[in-house]
Amino acid sequence: MKKQLGFYVDAKRCIGCFTCAMACKNQYQQEPGVIWRQVYPLKEEIYPHHERAFYSLACNHCEHPACLEVCPVDAYSKRPQDGIVVHHQEQCIGCGNCIRSCPYGAPRFNPVQKRAEKCSLCWQRLDAGLDPACVASCPTNALTLIDLATFADPGAVQFPPGFPKMGRLNPSTRFRQAELPKIIKREDVS
Amino acid sequence: MSPMTKQAMERILENSVSRRSFLSRLLATGALAGLPCGLLRPGTAEAGQVWEGGYQTFRNACPRNCYDTCSIISYVKDGVVKFVEGAPESSFTRGGLCVKGNSYVRRVYSPDRIKYPMEQQGRGSGNWKRLSWDQAMDKIARKILDIKERDGSLLGLALTKYSGNFGITNYGVEGMMSSLGYTTRMVGTPCWPAGIDAQNFDMGSMWCNDPEDLPQARYVIVWGANPAWCSVHSMKFLYAAQEAGAKMVVVDPVFTQTAAKADEYVEIRAGEDCALALGLCRHILDRGLYDREWVTAHSVGFDDFAAYLRDNVTVEWAAGKSGVPIAQIKALAEEFAQARPATIWIGYGMQRHVNGGAAVRVLDALVAMTGNVGKPGGGARYGHLQTWGFNYHAMLQKPPEGSKGWLGASGPKGEFDVSGGAGNAKYADRALNINKTAQEILDAKDPPIRMLWVACKNVLSQDFDRPKMLKAFDKLEMVVAVDQFFNQTVEQADIVLPVTTLFEDWTVNASYWHYWLSLNEQAIKPLHEAKSDIQIAAALSRRMNELAPGSCTFATEIDSKDWMAREFNKDIYDLFGLSSWEDLRKGPAKAKLASSASWADGKFATPSKKYEFRSDLCAKNGHDALPMYKEGRAPYDKLRLLTPHHKFAIHSQFQNLDWMADFNPAPFVYIHPRAAAQRGIADGDMVRVFNKVGEVRLAARLTSDVPPDTLLMYETWYKGLAFNCQNLVDDTSADMGAYKTGAPGVAIHDQFADVARA
Repeated sequence: MKKQLGFYVDAKRCIGCFTCAMACKNQYQQEPGVIWRQVYPLKEEIYPHHERAFYSLACNHCEHPACLEVCPVDAYSKRPQDGIVVHHQEQCIGCGNCIRSCPYGAPRFNPVQKRAEKCSLCWQRLDAGLDPACVASCPTNALTLIDLATFADPGAVQFPPGFPKMGRLNPSTRFRQAELPKIIKREDVS
Repeated sequence: MSPMTKQAMERILENSVSRRSFLSRLLATGALAGLPCGLLRPGTAEAGQVWEGGYQTFRNACPRNCYDTCSIISYVKDGVVKFVEGAPESSFTRGGLCVKGNSYVRRVYSPDRIKYPMEQQGRGSGNWKRLSWDQAMDKIARKILDIKERDGSLLGLALTKYSGNFGITNYGVEGMMSSLGYTTRMVGTPCWPAGIDAQNFDMGSMWCNDPEDLPQARYVIVWGANPAWCSVHSMKFLYAAQEAGAKMVVVDPVFTQTAAKADEYVEIRAGEDCALALGLCRHILDRGLYDREWVTAHSVGFDDFAAYLRDNVTVEWAAGKSGVPIAQIKALAEEFAQARPATIWIGYGMQRHVNGGAAVRVLDALVAMTGNVGKPGGGARYGHLQTWGFNYHAMLQKPPEGSKGWLGASGPKGEFDVSGGAGNAKYADRALNINKTAQEILDAKDPPIRMLWVACKNVLSQDFDRPKMLKAFDKLEMVVAVDQFFNQTVEQADIVLPVTTLFEDWTVNASYWHYWLSLNEQAIKPLHEAKSDIQIAAALSRRMNELAPGSCTFATEIDSKDWMAREFNKDIYDLFGLSSWEDLRKGPAKAKLASSASWADGKFATPSKKYEFRSDLCAKNGHDALPMYKEGRAPYDKLRLLTPHHKFAIHSQFQNLDWMADFNPAPFVYIHPRAAAQRGIADGDMVRVFNKVGEVRLAARLTSDVPPDTLLMYETWYKGLAFNCQNLVDDTSADMGAYKTGAPGVAIHDQFADVARA
């Protein structure tokens, strides 16, 4: 398999602290309201406590990216050397096709530029030998960079509950699911 | 996921204010004309940057009174901070920051920053007029001289300052007050004083193990702390302990994020920590699982404690009080006592009760009787001040000749008071309880408080009983607030002075949890007209001495870097293995510890030099000599109300930034579904939360993360929202704190309220 970079989202270790999401803003100084990485709490049907388990998600750098397919001006490309899906904002006309087409909500509208933008997997940092800003910032090592060509964790899953199953796109993000502690509730009020 | 994307999109489309448009507006209005040139370059401080290399880097330190006190590297180009990262040299933070630290650039360049001195025409009116620094200092200096003339002293001038900026040179604010004469000080700490006293009685000092030795623990109880939100960099050490086979148990009234990561979560009735801990001690005693050898060699009073347990405590009683089932208490006691080493992280939340100090003493006893004090991977971990031995050069200033002040005894003015009190001086400052600031202002006489200086603190967001505080402010003739944003205290101030962020001046920062020391370099010139606290003091001293020569002893010209350097001494250099403070420019330094464990040599700082289960000093300070049960506060309303810290803020800082609002736009009150159903409240409903103190209106979230008898909302300041949990928190004292910090703590979590649909 060719090199394909992606994120490994370890929900067992993730504390939902939003450090990764803010580290992205810190690196790119995005306009207020523009979010490349979001930390999504799992619904209580999936994890039975309000806002206690999370998936930190940005662009999934899919094998067959919907954004790239629908872009009328070829503002998207997939880097041959590592599979990063790059948005070339200078070519973007702000038509919104990619924003409407990505089932994961990765491309976002920049209200000042009036164009789309999204997670670049920090390719400029990677090319300089650095980790992506989000990965470098994670205090619990819950968000890591993987290469699917060599990633071989048998416990990892591609479509955990709550993550839209879009097999055709083949998103490059992998997950480990959150766990529950043994819970001892108070007797006097239960 | 799609509804979320839609919401995010809606937020994007609503929010049209960007930094670039703000800067271009500034240019258009000529506001940039008054700035030193080259500071703000719209072309380089713009959004949409990418990593490009070639940055100038500076060492900074997060000064926000947080466990983690992160070492920061700021990346600067053309005089603008482009982004920040954690310092990789620190093995505690390992190159990380938290969500708040990663928002710092936005804070520096926020369009909401206070840019120059301003005067408000009518408190709360929002009718602010710009002043020059000279005008502002003149108004303030004349007021101070007016008070001195009317009262014959400066006791009518009060300072309230805490840890909003925890740099060592920020103690120059206290220094500024001392340099004017004897003033009134709000003393003590709202944070951790009950536990400080408790640990002083038991061991002679507050001194925790290095948190980096947590992986050596075989059993960890996190009791009333939420490091997953409030010390994110500690979590990897807890995980490492778990991965090495340790069990992690969280004891908390709320199913916190830390609880979700534990092996076992024990829900406890808030304020009954004492009872549960005593039940554990009794069961360990009954099973003979205590460390007889350690107790004999290293402690006094254990037999008295054992007798107290046998006569007054049963596991059944502890279960009834705490709500924790009998079988679980027994299992927890047996597991904890048989794991070596075992440790308890004692949170600050659990001592914010009328019996909080008593509870910390029992937890200390539990760790001590199982032989876990003085052991790497063990310990009753609460905090430490081992790395705070600075000169306090900025703080220790002399009053002008002939100053008159308070006659009478003077205790410590907080946990960092190194002045040793008034000594042989005839006069002292007037000490009032910081945790009852409103009541103290209302009650102060001869002279009354006429003027309040607020620095490194947000009185009207954080101090207790806000309705009473507003009344107290009505008594004040002048309020000066030193801040970065128009927050809820600035709203009620007469004059506001803009203060620098960490990137704009020099200082040095230590932690009360880990053992790293960080230099804070000036990375950029101050924005707008901001000055640091010591530069403000120098400016005030200049004007005071122009109007009345000799009326202020503070230096009138200060080199901030030199003043930072003057805080160092040989002991600090030796402790950290430094030859000069300049070494810290290469990165933070860690204290050279003989052991990762506190009290490793078994020599305690108590009168007996041993661990004191029986503390006569504690008795002399008006408490029980033994770690004993102390009743909690009787409920004064239907539900308990907890107001802990949020992950997006530290007190009233950070949540106000637009970047933070992108992730957390509004507050909620969290209600158990059963309590909500009884009141006809559905998820998302607007509700009123009310009690004898006041009322708060906000949206409800239904969750079993809180028990059915408890309401929870986070203590935070949201820009543009009236939300303020201090409308529901009174100023009832905790049991301990007066011994080491000058005033008792405050029972923040012994509050009660009811809720109804709005």
